Amino acid sequence: MTDKNETVIALLSQPNSGKSTLFNALTGLKQHVGNWPGKTVEQKEGKFEYNGRQYVVADLPGTYSLSANSDEEMITRDYIASGKADVVCILADSSQLERSLYMLADFAGIEVPCFLVLNMSDVAKEQGKSIKVDAIRQRLGIPVVLFSATDKKDYSPFYDALTEALDKKTVLNSDGLEAKLQQIPEYISIREIIEGVNDEHRSSMWLAVKSVEGDAPVIAKVKAKLDSSKRNTYEQAVKGIEKGVVKTGECKFSWIDEVIEGSVVSKSKKVEMGRFDRLITHKFWGKAVVVVTILLGLIASFIPALPFMGIGSAIGMIPAPLNDYLISIGCPGFIAAILCDVLITCFSFVIQMLGFVFGVTLVFGLLEEIGVMARISYVFDNTMAKLGLQGKSVMPFLISFGCTMGGAAGTRVIDNWGQKVLTIALAWAIPCGAAWAVVPMLSTLFFGPGAAAIIAVILVVMILHMWLTAKIFGRSLVKPSDRYGMIMELPPYHKPKWGSLFRYVLGRTKETFIRSFRVVLIVALVFWLLSYTSSGDATSSILFKVGQAIEPVTMLFGMKWQTFTAFIASSLGKEGALGVLSTIYSGVGTITVSSMQGAEVAANLNDLLIANISKPEALAFIFAITFNMPCIVALAATYQETHSAKWTAIIAGYYTATALVLAGIAYHIGLLIW
Amino acid sequence: MKTLSKMKQGEEGVVTSVNGDVRYMSRITSIGITPGCRVRIIKNDKNRPIIVYTRDTMIALNEKECSNIEVQEGSYND
Repeated sequence: MTDKNETVIALLSQPNSGKSTLFNALTGLKQHVGNWPGKTVEQKEGKFEYNGRQYVVADLPGTYSLSANSDEEMITRDYIASGKADVVCILADSSQLERSLYMLADFAGIEVPCFLVLNMSDVAKEQGKSIKVDAIRQRLGIPVVLFSATDKKDYSPFYDALTEALDKKTVLNSDGLEAKLQQIPEYISIREIIEGVNDEHRSSMWLAVKSVEGDAPVIAKVKAKLDSSKRNTYEQAVKGIEKGVVKTGECKFSWIDEVIEGSVVSKSKKVEMGRFDRLITHKFWGKAVVVVTILLGLIASFIPALPFMGIGSAIGMIPAPLNDYLISIGCPGFIAAILCDVLITCFSFVIQMLGFVFGVTLVFGLLEEIGVMARISYVFDNTMAKLGLQGKSVMPFLISFGCTMGGAAGTRVIDNWGQKVLTIALAWAIPCGAAWAVVPMLSTLFFGPGAAAIIAVILVVMILHMWLTAKIFGRSLVKPSDRYGMIMELPPYHKPKWGSLFRYVLGRTKETFIRSFRVVLIVALVFWLLSYTSSGDATSSILFKVGQAIEPVTMLFGMKWQTFTAFIASSLGKEGALGVLSTIYSGVGTITVSSMQGAEVAANLNDLLIANISKPEALAFIFAITFNMPCIVALAATYQETHSAKWTAIIAGYYTATALVLAGIAYHIGLLIW
Repeated sequence: MKTLSKMKQGEEGVVTSVNGDVRYMSRITSIGITPGCRVRIIKNDKNRPIIVYTRDTMIALNEKECSNIEVQEGSYND
């Protein structure tokens, strides 16, 4: 119960058991995503009402077991054992019943009310399996329901099981498992020593199983609870158990076999790979197929993005006439400027970017849901492992050629936090669409046909940058001791569940909007204040004064105050780099607006640039903006995905610094050439 | 008897032992590979994870770590 008298349900299952579908169907848009206290693991909660009763659903992280191998597993088991949930809903995949019931077996011995949902009954049926729940129910002593979370029409069996578990406080009967465990001599002796010891809702049986498995946190806890007389015997008993986890694992599966015996009838058919599977996992063609799939996905992402972009740019039209109107009715210029140049401009910018996030989350969420993402992970596993990443990281990388924010949003499918942060950190090095819009044009302007060489060098630098960044950040984000080889299920292809997917995508987009709008607004406001002049003369702004004062330093990196200001402004958005230069050199427009709107540039901009910027400086500037932080929206998205202000700041600082270093190198090489 | 990593596409067998550090054994057990379970190799390409079919599930496993898993070969019909 919460203090608001709401009943708490915890959802527990292995990955790919349809847990999110159930969660989304139950709670709709009433969801909240936060962090588990002190951890970087996402905490999802939702609410719903049934039969006049208020419920809170805690969507626990999807893990394969309740051991102590990761933060996710620790959080999950501590939450369950704490009794914070009134009832635990354990999900299993009906089409892989035996394997996915492992979670139930690992849970057995935690004495809290629970019920079992055999989800994805439709998939099992398709595979010619029929399951009878009555016997299973009797053996387990808890409500067991066979259903499909995708079938929104018939949730009554689920609600019935839920109500029954709550009313009768049904606790899982684990006697059968205990009997199996008696075959392990080490279990018998430990069980005897710790008889009567329990921890919150964890029974001595559960504690004994984990002790046999060599589970360090459990062993420490049990030791603290034992009398000194027994502590030594316990320490001796847990020491040197060989392959404890394999032994208990055998018992768990043999208990599962007993529980489902006679209840599952399947027409045996030999499962082979389908045609698409054979193609995407092909020795030679696999990688090409993956890259094409992702690029097609990227193009498809633009389709749902277009309406947002249209609305966004329409909003972007408002400031100019509105500003004139406000001034005409006597509104102070300062306030009109804040409203138009900062608030509405930011709003328009964020809406436009958001379209892409919406598109990427939808398309790549879809690829994840139907099972393609697991294949991508398989194909690129060896390549990405060299960077300390998993195969799925290839997807955010490719998306980042279009939009880094989309790439950051795409890291949702990476289940390891450190690898997720590292993927984002590396994705920032990939020049995004906005950079590709500006850089070739600038290169051609200054270097004519040499532009091709510059682009080639940029691509080489990008790869080196990613490699080096992986070395620098990888050490603390993905510790060598945490670098495991792949152990991953390749789920059968599922039909997408559009309703659930849309709810999820809308929820994500809404959250991204709130967070990024806030960040963008603050950064833009600060920047705007720094560049504000009442007279309209850029040379009286703080930005100019600071820029000029530090010019001796920025010239080390080959940037005069004008290009340095444009470089700083390009952290807001790269599409604006030209607009900012135009504003500075021609004295028309506002820097903040130019940086985000990619505003029209002065007609004679090319001449202005060539007249004012030397070739080595141009080269420095090109490298500076290419490898600078992608944009503030990407910064906000990075914060949202990593849940860590610290790492977001580290990555941003690192990119600003490396962009300057690269600019400096480019400048000095340029000086040697020209 | 041979390790899983040495098995070729289409070969079948029963797992006889799982070795490695505690963490590896824990992860491999929880995804369903334990002594006594039947496995069939769906794919074993060079420099790629090995795809194994077991307990109604396709699982991709790191090639090197598969040398931790010993299998008694044999074909089964049920």
